[in-house]
Amino acid sequence: MKLGRKSSLFVLISTLLFSTITQAQEVFRARLSPMPTTPQTVATILGEGEVILTLNGNSLNVEGSFEGMSSAATGAHIHNGPPALPGPVIHALEVTQATGGSVVGELTLTEEQVEALHNNEFYIQIHSESNPPGELRGWVFLRSHFDN
Amino acid sequence: MHFNLLEKKSYLVLSGFLILGLSACGGERTTPEPIVAAAPEVESALSFENQATAGADSYATNCAACHGANLEGSTLGPLLSGFSFIQRWGTQTPALLLGNIQSNMPPGGNENISDEDFLSIVAHILSVNGVDSISNALTASSDFEIADNISRIIAQRQRPEPPAPQGLTVAGNTEEFVEFIPLTQEMLRDPDPADWPMHRRNFYGHSYSPLDQINTENVKNLSLEWVWNMHEGDSEPAPLVYNGIIYLINPGNVIQALDAESGELIWEHWTGPANRQDMRNIAMYDDKIIQATTDARLVALDARTGEQVWETVVADNTKGFANSSGPIVADGKVIQGLAGCARYIPEDCYISAYDADNGELLWQFVTIAKVGELGGDTWGGLDNIFRAGGETWITGSYDPDLNLTYWGTAQQKPWVPVSRHMTIFDVGLYTNATVAVDTESGVLDWYFQHVPAEALDLDEVFERVLVNRGDDKFVYSIGKHGILWKNDRVTGEFRGFQETVFQNAFTHIDPETGAVTYREDIQNAQLNEWTSACPSSAGGKDWHSMTYHPPSGLIVAPLSQTCLENAAREVALVQGGGGLAASRKFFEMPGTNGNLGKVGAYHADTLEEVWSFQQRASLHTGTISTGGDLVFVGDLDRRFKAFDVNSGDVLWETRLGTSVQGHPVSFAVNGKQYIAVTAALGGTSPRTVPGVIATEITYPRWGNAIYVFSLPDE
Ligand code: HEC
Repeated sequence: MKLGRKSSLFVLISTLLFSTITQAQEVFRARLSPMPTTPQTVATILGEGEVILTLNGNSLNVEGSFEGMSSAATGAHIHNGPPALPGPVIHALEVTQATGGSVVGELTLTEEQVEALHNNEFYIQIHSESNPPGELRGWVFLRSHFDN
Repeated sequence: MHFNLLEKKSYLVLSGFLILGLSACGGERTTPEPIVAAAPEVESALSFENQATAGADSYATNCAACHGANLEGSTLGPLLSGFSFIQRWGTQTPALLLGNIQSNMPPGGNENISDEDFLSIVAHILSVNGVDSISNALTASSDFEIADNISRIIAQRQRPEPPAPQGLTVAGNTEEFVEFIPLTQEMLRDPDPADWPMHRRNFYGHSYSPLDQINTENVKNLSLEWVWNMHEGDSEPAPLVYNGIIYLINPGNVIQALDAESGELIWEHWTGPANRQDMRNIAMYDDKIIQATTDARLVALDARTGEQVWETVVADNTKGFANSSGPIVADGKVIQGLAGCARYIPEDCYISAYDADNGELLWQFVTIAKVGELGGDTWGGLDNIFRAGGETWITGSYDPDLNLTYWGTAQQKPWVPVSRHMTIFDVGLYTNATVAVDTESGVLDWYFQHVPAEALDLDEVFERVLVNRGDDKFVYSIGKHGILWKNDRVTGEFRGFQETVFQNAFTHIDPETGAVTYREDIQNAQLNEWTSACPSSAGGKDWHSMTYHPPSGLIVAPLSQTCLENAAREVALVQGGGGLAASRKFFEMPGTNGNLGKVGAYHADTLEEVWSFQQRASLHTGTISTGGDLVFVGDLDRRFKAFDVNSGDVLWETRLGTSVQGHPVSFAVNGKQYIAVTAALGGTSPRTVPGVIATEITYPRWGNAIYVFSLPDE
């Protein structure tokens, strides 16, 4: 099954109608959920979050929140990898150094990165003191993908 | 955590429970102390006893979550103590047990467990199981027979429970409720609308009832008629209903006959073994209920009284063979699959057929091609003994016109090619395939291997649904990859596919041939290398059967959206070894918004998705459809729902005592339509995987029951 690239037109049109910004703007979303886990680690890889990413031309605004991690966040990044496939870091994000808080960033993307974003090849990952390889993670899709 | 053998204080506390079961290990043992006991501290740490005590701690950390603090087992893992464990492992050596555990356990990964820890865990398991006549610490090459070192007294202490009932525990006769009419091949071929006389109701596996009294207009009024609590244990039951009587398979190989209208128990038969294990379904033919047992026997009971009529052994349970699904009866032949075929032993898995009258063996079709046989060159040159897998753990279907029975086969074992000492090109016939077998002779008519050389524990074993569209005869299936396959069931020819959930195991599926191309890193996965893939081993689809709704031409399937990381482990090519051999971790499927459950409706002609419904809670029943244009399905969160088959709208839902699990049925008695569904625990990976992902969903860990619904009388 193809993961959503539909309804970008709808977002585009509604953005044009309801915003004063004349430039095309697209809204993306990531749901953050625990990194891969097992019955043995299920009590130590915790939390949940949501990140909204707004693309204006090449600039990407990232604003999100998270809560309930097992220990304080130590860092957050945007990575490049297709759905469910880990990949390299491409941008660091600012993250509250606590078990919950906000994750934000203001980035400029290359052409390739804009394309990767449209191909669902971005994911956001938050690392924590007790889970240095990452505690929360979520792939980025057009927000409309989650509408059904 | 790494456990230091010299930290004695901590393991004295942690192993307190051990002393109960094993008082001979306490201070007052009368047998002479082994000489090492008097030696300095480091030396004494090397006695079996100290090793076992240390092992108790490692066990508590690494194993108890699934196998229970006292090795008693839980819904996440089987028991590792007592009679049935010793029956399986008693004739083996500690070295073999160690090898099996190191290759397979814990399923999540073993990076933090040293070789020494594994040895001490084995010592702990042996010790709790009453191994009391050895003194030297185990080594990786300890090759004594385990049972030879269990003294009788200790062995008896392992079974303090009163003996389980055996045979008829409640006597009765269905003829006190309704006249008995033998169930013939002709009746099974075209079941009375009021009946659900076999698993999935008809030979074609449609899970469709033509009854239409309960429909899209009035389903909102559906109300509970009666509830019957079932025996506790793992359970995925598929009740049968024939002529107003419900035949109900309970955990522990117990069958009950209930009056469908009143919920009155008529008879109960304990066939044994009295464990907490799961058996999905039973069959009925003539005047018999035919039951596969979890220890791989077939037993026929008199449908009227529950009295045993015949019994036969399908395969040797002490070699690991087992069953979790029952037979289909095709023209008087009881056709039965087989599971538990992951061990490196000379015997392989087979489908076998028996005379329904007396249990006499008619034929066997072995699902593993041996050296020199057709397809025997697809196993990378491995000796026959190391060719494992090919289980048929889901009941097949049957075309009485073509005289063919259709089964899915599970994949090769262990799970990853590198653990099998094979490559991605060693496809391993006839695993992970649809096999069409002649019901008269047991000869293979055709096969279609959906996913050759399977590499992620994604078997293509589930039900085959037979559908006629015009003059075309098709067979449909969905395996764990979540791919809906359509094949011509006369020739096996590929006719199309549809991805029902996201998958990234394959980079290409040939639209003409159906040939799959694995992602390169999956093709080349090495030992202890993590590979990330969707869906997970809980399956895009699993054992919960899908339905075909003839009026709309829709196939409606219960689907699941999770992913896994998988790492192969090393398995030595030694007789008696084998296993599954992978570490796994699980996570939400990207893009699903955390929705684990999905009901998807696909048109049988185009395979197009007509509608879908997604929700957080995973689905735990098969889907059934009815002539009232309804689809029913139940979930982990205790909800049982009715959908409009054409639109996917939820028209009714209710909440039961615990997770709704099993196979719903619809039937009628005296002109009144009923819907029945079971609530149950267990159910293997479709429960354990959501258990680590959707941790906020809670439900009681007991409460197996059958619930029967109907419309209120006017
Ligand atoms: C996440 C749950 C889980 C954990 C943790 C776990 N196991 Fe298991 N274990 C299972 C399951 C499930 C099976 C059944 C596998 C099968 O039949 O395919 C099993 C099977 C086994 C078996 C084979 C049982 C038999 O009857 O043949 C042994 C032995 C075993 N485990 C030992 C261990 C040991 C020792 C540990 C700790 C080092 C451990 N397990 C940790 C879930 C677990």
